[in-house]
Amino acid sequence: MGNKQTIFTQEQLDAYQDCTFFTRKEILRLFHRYRDLAPQLVPLDYSDKPAVTLPYELIGSMPELKDNPFRQRIAEVFSEHGDGNMTLDDFLDMFSVLSEMAPRDLKAYYAFKIYDFNNDDYICKSDLEKTVNKLTRNELTPEEVSLVCEKVIYEADADNDGKLSLADFQHMIIRAPDFLSTFHIRI
Amino acid sequence: FCFLHGFDAEGDLVGSLASMSTNERIKAIQKMPETMGKKREIRNKVLKEITKKSRHRGGQPSCCTQCLQGAAVSFRRFGNTLSEHFHQLRIWHKTLKIIGAEFGTSVLSYFVFLKWLLNFNLFSFLINFSFITIPQFLAAEPNNLSFTGLELFTGAGYFQQTVLYYGFYTNATISKVENGPSYNMQLAYIFTVGIYFVICFLILLFSMAKFFSRNFVNPQTFSVNASRLLCTWDFNITNEKAVKLKQKNLHTQIKEGLTEVNKEVLDFSAMEIVLRIAIHLFAWAASLGIAVAACTGVYFLSINNLELFMKGHRNDLESQSAMLVLPVVVSLLNTLIPFFFSWLGHLERFQTPGQHIYVTIIRNIILKMSIVGILCYYWLNIVAASESQCWETLVGQDIYRLVLVDFIFCLLGSFFGEFLRRIIGTTVWVSLGLPEFDIGRNVLDLIYAQTLTWIGILFSPLLPGIQMIAFFIVFFVKKVSLMRNCQPPRKVWRTAQMMTSFIFLLFCPSFLGVLSVIGVTVWRLKPSEECGPFRGLSSMYAAVSEWIQILESFTASKWVVWIYHNLISSELFFFILSTFVLIVTYIYCEIIRGRKTMTKLLQKQLNN
Repeated sequence: MGNKQTIFTQEQLDAYQDCTFFTRKEILRLFHRYRDLAPQLVPLDYSDKPAVTLPYELIGSMPELKDNPFRQRIAEVFSEHGDGNMTLDDFLDMFSVLSEMAPRDLKAYYAFKIYDFNNDDYICKSDLEKTVNKLTRNELTPEEVSLVCEKVIYEADADNDGKLSLADFQHMIIRAPDFLSTFHIRI
Repeated sequence: FCFLHGFDAEGDLVGSLASMSTNERIKAIQKMPETMGKKREIRNKVLKEITKKSRHRGGQPSCCTQCLQGAAVSFRRFGNTLSEHFHQLRIWHKTLKIIGAEFGTSVLSYFVFLKWLLNFNLFSFLINFSFITIPQFLAAEPNNLSFTGLELFTGAGYFQQTVLYYGFYTNATISKVENGPSYNMQLAYIFTVGIYFVICFLILLFSMAKFFSRNFVNPQTFSVNASRLLCTWDFNITNEKAVKLKQKNLHTQIKEGLTEVNKEVLDFSAMEIVLRIAIHLFAWAASLGIAVAACTGVYFLSINNLELFMKGHRNDLESQSAMLVLPVVVSLLNTLIPFFFSWLGHLERFQTPGQHIYVTIIRNIILKMSIVGILCYYWLNIVAASESQCWETLVGQDIYRLVLVDFIFCLLGSFFGEFLRRIIGTTVWVSLGLPEFDIGRNVLDLIYAQTLTWIGILFSPLLPGIQMIAFFIVFFVKKVSLMRNCQPPRKVWRTAQMMTSFIFLLFCPSFLGVLSVIGVTVWRLKPSEECGPFRGLSSMYAAVSEWIQILESFTASKWVVWIYHNLISSELFFFILSTFVLIVTYIYCEIIRGRKTMTKLLQKQLNN
C-alpha cells in the first residue's frame, strides 16, 4: 500500500507502527533524520536488522536536543546500555515517548527516569540538586540549591522517606496539567 | 504499569493481550514502558498466541475466515494511510515548531487556538458555499449596480446584489430541467445553518469536556516548588537564546520563591482590609460603569446609523464613509478600554498575579460581550422593525463592516503594540526593553471576531470565508511580529488551565449568546417581504413547519412527521430530556465528591 520503499520490510514497518505512536510516513521520515546524522554509518537497507549504533555526540548535536539541558540524561535513558549511544530502535522509542500522542503515565515514567541521575529508582536530594543546577545554569549558591531541594521533597514526598518514588512523582504530575504539553519535542 | 518480573508475569501479559481486540491491543503495547526490542518481542509472542488460538478453535481456518482476516489487515493499513494523508495536511507544522522552540508552549497555545478557530470557519464556508451559494448561482438575477472600490470597505453598493448577503438568495425552488430534480432554497438555507450550529455545539462541548477533565486542578493541592522544578521545563524550546532566557527566569523565580514573605499569612489591620475592599469595589464599579457608558454610546451611534440607511442609497463618498463610523468607534472602544482596565488592575493590589490576570480577562469579556449584545439588540429590535427594504442585508452589511474594521485594528494593534513598542523600548526608553506577546488580549480579540462571524452566518453566508482569509493574514502578521519584536514571556503561564478557560469563554458567553441570537431571529422575527429566501413567511421557521405540513400528505414520510411532532416541537420531550440531563449531572457530581473524600482518606493513611 502506498509508495514502494526498500528500507524496511512490511512486517518491520507494521511492528514499528504497533510499538510506537508514529505512522508509516513518520517512521520513514525519522529514519532519514537518523541517517542524516551519519550517512556513512547507517545503511539504507534495514531489512536484515543491522546492528548500527550512533554515538551520543551525534545524537546530542540534533537541533531538537542540542540546547536542552537534559539531553545527556534523555539519551542515556533511552539508549540500550545506558551510555547515550542509540540504535534506530532507541531513537524511534525516544521520539515516540516525547511525541504529543504519548499518554501521561508513559511520559511520567520516562521523565522520572530522566531526573533520576543515579539510576536508583528514586529521585533523592542529590538528583534534585543536579536538576536545579541544570535548570539554572549553576547560578544559585549551594545553600539556595539545598533549600529548594528540601522544599520540593517536603511538598511532593507522600510516604515521608526523604526521596521521591515513582508513585510520588506520578501523583505530582497528575496535579500539573501543563506537563503533557511541556514534556514534548516536535520532530 | 506491568513490570515484567519473571516469566509467569510475561505469560499472563501475553495471554491478556491476545484476548483483546486489535485496537486495544495496539494501544496497550504502545503504552508499555519497555524498550522497543522488548515491545516487539511481546508483540510477536502475542501474534503467535493469536494464531495458535484461532487454530485450536476450529482446525484449519476456512477460506472465508482467512479472507476476512486478510481483509481486516488491509482495511487497517488503508485506514492508516488515509490518516497519514490527513496528517500530511497539517499546515504550519514547521511554523508552530519554530514558535514553540523560541517562545515556549504558552505563546504557542495562542497560535494553536487560532488554527483551531480557522477550522470552524473553513467548515462553515465549505458547507455554505456548496449547499447555498452554488445553487443560487444557477438562479441568479443580474446585478445592475456598478462596482467602485469602496465596496470592499463598506460592503454596500455592488455587493448588495451578490451572493454575499441574505437578500440576494431566492425563495424559489430551483430546477434546471423542467419536472426534473428540484432544490428547495428555503429548506436548504435553514437546514444548512442549523446543522452547522449543531455540529459546532457538539464539537465545542466535547472539546471543553476533554480539556476540563484533563486539566482541572484543585488549586489548593498545587505544589508550587516541586512542579516548578520537575514539571514545567519546556522541552519544546530548542533555541539557545530562549533556553538561556528561560533558565534565567527560572533562577529569578526560585530566588523570589526562597526570599518571599509567605503571601497567605499577611496580616492586615482592619483599616487596611476595609481600604482594600473599597478599592476593589471602586475598580469594579469603574469598569462596569465604563462598559455601560460604552454600550450607551454604541447604541445611540447605531440609531444614528440607521437614520443614515433610511435616508436612501446615496452612493456618494460621504454617506459611504459615514457608514464606517460605527465600526471604527466600536473597535476603538474595544482597543482602548482594555488599557484602562489593566491600569485599574495595577491600582488594586491583588494577592497573586494569577488573580490579576483573571480579573482583567473577565472585565474585558464583559466589555466585549456587552457591546456585541447591545449591537444585537439594536439589530434585532430596531433594524428588523424598521421600514427598510431588506433588513437582513442591512444587518449583514453592518457585521461585514465590523469584521473588516476589527481585522484592520488587529493589524494596527500589532503594529503599534509590538513594532513601535520595540523601537521605543530599544532606542528611546531602553529600560522598557522588548515587549512581550500579550496572550490574553490577543485570544480575547479572536473570540470577539469569531462571535461576530457566527452571528453573521445567517445574514451573510459567505462571511466565514472572509473571516478565514482574515485569520490567515492575522496568523502570518502575528508570527512575523512575534519573531521580530517580542521576547519570550517572563512569568510562568499555567498554559493548560488558560486554554481550558479560553475554550470555556468561547463556549459560554460567545457561542451560547450566538445561539440565542440566531434562535430569536429564526423563531420570532418577521423576514422582509421583498428579499431573501424567506420572503413573505411569518418567520424563518415557518418554512420548516410548512414543509412538515406538505410531508403529512405523503405516506412514505410519515415517520419524519411523527419525529417532528413528538420530539422536536413537543414540550414534554424537552422536559424529560432536561430532567434526565440534570439527574445524570447530579450523579456525576456526587461521584466526584465521593472520590475526593476517598483521596483525602488515602492521603491521610499514607502520611501516618
